[in-house]
Amino acid sequence: MRGPARKWFLYRRGEGWLRVLLLGVAVLAFGLPLIWTALASLSVEPDNNSSPPTWSLPPSTEHYTEIGIAEPTFAEELTTSTSLALLATALTLGISFLAAYAMARSIFRGKRLLVQGFLILACLPVMAYAVPLTDTVGHLHLEDTFIGVMLAQTAVFSPLAIYILYGYLSQVPRELEESVRLDGGSTLQVIRNVALPLASPGLAATGIIVFVLNWNLFLVPLVLTTSRIRTIPVAMSDFFTFERELEWPTAAAALTTSLVPLVILIALAHRLLEEFRLPFSEPGSTG
Amino acid sequence: MTISRSQALLLFVPLLLILLPFLIWPAAFGFFASFTNYAPVQPNFHFLGLGNYREVLGDPQFQTACRNVAVFALIAVPTELALGLGIAYLLRQPFRGRGWIRVALLTPWLVSPIATGVMWHFLFNDKWGLFGFWFVWLRLPIPPSPLGLSGLALLTAIAIDVWRKAPLASFLLLPGLVSIPNDQWEQSTLDGASLLLRIRHVALPWMRPLLLTVGLLLLGDTLGTFDTVLILTGGGPGSATMTPGLYSFQQAFQINNWPVGATSAWLIMAMVLLMGALYLSLVRPERER
Repeated sequence: MRGPARKWFLYRRGEGWLRVLLLGVAVLAFGLPLIWTALASLSVEPDNNSSPPTWSLPPSTEHYTEIGIAEPTFAEELTTSTSLALLATALTLGISFLAAYAMARSIFRGKRLLVQGFLILACLPVMAYAVPLTDTVGHLHLEDTFIGVMLAQTAVFSPLAIYILYGYLSQVPRELEESVRLDGGSTLQVIRNVALPLASPGLAATGIIVFVLNWNLFLVPLVLTTSRIRTIPVAMSDFFTFERELEWPTAAAALTTSLVPLVILIALAHRLLEEFRLPFSEPGSTG
Repeated sequence: MTISRSQALLLFVPLLLILLPFLIWPAAFGFFASFTNYAPVQPNFHFLGLGNYREVLGDPQFQTACRNVAVFALIAVPTELALGLGIAYLLRQPFRGRGWIRVALLTPWLVSPIATGVMWHFLFNDKWGLFGFWFVWLRLPIPPSPLGLSGLALLTAIAIDVWRKAPLASFLLLPGLVSIPNDQWEQSTLDGASLLLRIRHVALPWMRPLLLTVGLLLLGDTLGTFDTVLILTGGGPGSATMTPGLYSFQQAFQINNWPVGATSAWLIMAMVLLMGALYLSLVRPERER
């Protein structure tokens, strides 16, 4: 990864040192606020009143235990966020995969427009329909229920998932599907035994991105729930709005705790994510 | 292989069962409700014509919000695309650990908008924040948090947005940059084109569809900006960081002025749809029709 091997490798390609330097600056610039937060959560903080600033040492983990005192239901909220994000992501992938497959394997007028239409739906901020959404969810008697939030979150990210999955599915080779079909396989068998395995890396990468989006979504759980269902972003915003004097190291510990699952997920899946791509037609191809 | 039309429609059913009640109906209903005084608690309602629109568009706070979000989008989206493209360019050629760097750069985006707001609120604190630290380190007096200054608050919110989303842009743009055939780069290098010329004549035409897609995704997100500013500044100082999203949220859920909330939200939808139409006209392949 790091170390002399990489540097040598880059150097050989010319422009090498500049590239390493610039990348290092970028990683540091974007990472520093997070490092600062992680340090503060371990109560390593600078004292800006002294010059040069001094650092409070030694590090301790007491602020992580303080989260439980400041927000007694934090563990519960962590569970809600996780299960909500997991289920919404699974449902999103399921329904989006079927629809994307249907689009990728049929020919009809206006197909390109439909695909792009899903991208535009994906760009629609939740705020644009959150107000009537609360009314609709109320009429369906799903207010303040886990299932209501989950279905609404699924609707938010399905268009994006379809758009991405359509890109993968339209590139999967079709010969195998045809041979299974000639052997008398039904469409469902073709999907389950051929298309799904071939598209699974793309499906998994899309799933990770959708999971992160679900985990971080604030507006939907905020406006569709009152008290029973609380996710981490909602709890964090409540806490911060009502008690602005929240201690920074405790806030930092809560921030770090809510970020760590995602960082682990991304690190475990980094090979899958390397293959992640949005669909785009290269010049000269029929797209 | 193609499937029959009825099978294709059948495969669309599960999606429609979710999208119709939770996205398409609310969006359409919000549009019709914006011409009435409908509100969930109101027993009967009547047609108002353009009354709600007159009220929203005449509200100086909404006008400020629109101006702010225009500034936000015009600065944030091009900066995020440019920085993202720059970082992606640095990652173009494979080297050991490239995958790790590419994924590590996603970390700012993993921080939720709410957590981003909380985090930067504290990072701008003078006593132990990152911001104050550099000033003390350089032996300069610590300035007050820019989030509290009406001239700087919006720019600061934009900078925070760039921090969170420029690395995401690089993550999304890299596959496009990598797909450029090497001979195209080499040819233009042999022709003696400078780096900027190579980017302009080789990378940008090739990347155009992807840049437009990522640009639209970033733009849609920006036009709905609400959660980070809610935590960072609450729209203040004054209405220096007010956005249409925050305006709509406050009207509908805090002041309980449902019709105005729904109407201003529909104006956000109209802005995004307009940008979507612009996108469609820009990505249309030349051959088509």
